[in-house]
Amino acid sequence: MAIADEEFRRLIETHQRMVFSIALRVTSDYATAEEVAQDVFLELHRTGERLAGDDHVKYWLRRVATHRAIDAIRRTALRPEAGAEEWMEEQFVDDSGVTSAAIQARLDELLRTLPEPMRVVVVLRYQEEMLPEEIARLLGQSVASVKSHLHHGLKLLRRKAAVTMKEYVRESA
Amino acid sequence: MNQPEELLTKFEQELTQAMRAVDPPAGFADRIMARTQAQEQPRARVLRMPSRGRFWMNSGAIAAMVLAGAFFGEQSHLRHERERAEQAQRQTEQAQQAQRQFETAMQITDQTLEQVQLQLRQAGVRGPK
Repeated sequence: MAIADEEFRRLIETHQRMVFSIALRVTSDYATAEEVAQDVFLELHRTGERLAGDDHVKYWLRRVATHRAIDAIRRTALRPEAGAEEWMEEQFVDDSGVTSAAIQARLDELLRTLPEPMRVVVVLRYQEEMLPEEIARLLGQSVASVKSHLHHGLKLLRRKAAVTMKEYVRESA
Repeated sequence: MNQPEELLTKFEQELTQAMRAVDPPAGFADRIMARTQAQEQPRARVLRMPSRGRFWMNSGAIAAMVLAGAFFGEQSHLRHERERAEQAQRQTEQAQQAQRQFETAMQITDQTLEQVQLQLRQAGVRGPK
């Protein structure tokens, strides 16, 4: 049984930012993100009233949005990440000048270069502020695997952020 | 060389602040509502298997129609055969009547010729050699 229109619109308005942001940051493509986000809500509409309570709906939307976004990048071959290995070398990086404003300015660019498994856990950890255990449950992976992706993803992001921020500062100057 | 833990934490904090949720494009909710309504339209046209009761009702109706068709077809065929036999009988009778008329006509003609020949002989006229 489908959700009543009024209730469904309320659910969209409550959760649209979260669903769209997950889709956007996992796919790194605006149009694909909107398509994924719309499909997620349509699936919610079809799922109907089996979801009890806002927390359950939020968990369901988060899980389905993540999986549909992963499906979208696998289906459309949106795999822009390349040469991740060269950034993984153990080198000291001075990222003390990296600020949230500076990251914000190049966030899409930075995230886009992360391999898919790392990108997904980074989005869930820092956008959704989920714990590794929660991410593991949502993705159906082990906690160790999630922590590993998180560790390597973060290391990669820091190196890239430090380099691109210097370019950003030079461009802005 | 590993980074000091506090720097990592600071970077994570910066990342968390930078990764705020973003608004979807304008009219996002309206477009979803429109899609749900559009999806409900064709759903009504989807062909479904009939329920068990309806299935038997439909089957009974189809069987009755087939039997009725067979009955009326048989009746029509018998009527057609009967009409054909009657027509053949009529034609036979007409042929026999025509034969009788022909034979009567020939008898009259023979009698007439005999009378003419008798009159010619009495008058002394010889026939052709």
